[in-house]
Amino acid sequence: MNNDTEAPTEDAGESYSVHPLSGAASRPASSLSAPLSAEISAALAASPEGEVAVRSLDLRIPLLEKNDILAERNRGYFLGRGLAALNLVSSPGAGKTTLLERTLDEFAPQTKCAVLVGDLETDNDGNRLRRPHAPVAQITTGTVCHLDAGMIAKAAQSIDLNGVKILFIENVGNLVCPASFDLGEQVRVVLLSTTEGEDKPLKYPPIFKSANLVLLTKVDVADALGFKRDIAIQNIKRIAPQARIIELSARSGEGMQDWYSFLRALSAQR
Amino acid sequence: MMESAMVLVQRYAVEKHARRVERVVLRIGTLSGVDPESLRFAFDVVSRGTQAEGAILDIETIQAAVFCKACQKEFVGQDRGFIFTCPICGDFCGEIRRGREIELGRLEFS
Repeated sequence: MNNDTEAPTEDAGESYSVHPLSGAASRPASSLSAPLSAEISAALAASPEGEVAVRSLDLRIPLLEKNDILAERNRGYFLGRGLAALNLVSSPGAGKTTLLERTLDEFAPQTKCAVLVGDLETDNDGNRLRRPHAPVAQITTGTVCHLDAGMIAKAAQSIDLNGVKILFIENVGNLVCPASFDLGEQVRVVLLSTTEGEDKPLKYPPIFKSANLVLLTKVDVADALGFKRDIAIQNIKRIAPQARIIELSARSGEGMQDWYSFLRALSAQR
Repeated sequence: MMESAMVLVQRYAVEKHARRVERVVLRIGTLSGVDPESLRFAFDVVSRGTQAEGAILDIETIQAAVFCKACQKEFVGQDRGFIFTCPICGDFCGEIRRGREIELGRLEFS
């Protein structure tokens, strides 16, 4: 299927846009906003207690509620389709796209994968990831420093997810804001590259705290950089004792089989 | 974040026929990654010209609570930032029970 000429799906009033690059859905993505806002209003209207004139009102309403509701919807949608969604987060340049390129070449021919990739501007990453066997959509966020659950809902509808077992979501390169935004993923993957220094987990703890899997990337150049792998692993374990850790290099191939085993086990659970 | 708080504040102010919003209480967990000072600054900006202009902004800090799987005990995180070790067995603990809250806690109207 050739989608080169496909126009980006852009709604008025939204600052981000979605570009299906390969494997586009046969129908255009429908807008979620109207029924969703009704759903949120209904949920909010049902929450406060009686109609007496109050001076003090206890609420305890999460401020990211809209994103959280959407994230739960995404999670249910992915679960219902039998696919596992992974949210890949890291600093810019830690190797998310390179990892996914190799994964699409080596792993995706056996287990169907799709990619949603976020950047502030350009389709460059989406184009790097284009493969005939993998649907890819680029989300350009404009000025927004993270992906949110609404963008994912819309982008997921823009591609054909039939038969897809693994959905990779490549987040905007940023170690701060994506920590607060649940996308409805099953697994949050945080990448730390050997070019960044062993103490990154200590300097940006929230994102590492929320990781299910930490990938130590570019281990092939660790020695040349004087990067101490054991200290990095120690620091990851201090911040994120819950996370599985895989050391790999998408260039040399070291550790890639561990990553594929992880993905295989994940897709077998669906 | 403060804008979504203000949407809620104004919705309840209308619903409860408030003349003015006197106090807004936010509950912010120590692990939420939210900076209280930035919230205060944003509150001043987004409340301008609304019923909440000039209201007192209280930010309640929710201390992190962590669960140790080995000891089956919950404990409150000390002032060690993001690294939690169980006070009983000394293991690193990753199961967060509290501390990620970013909530509108309470409103006071007149």
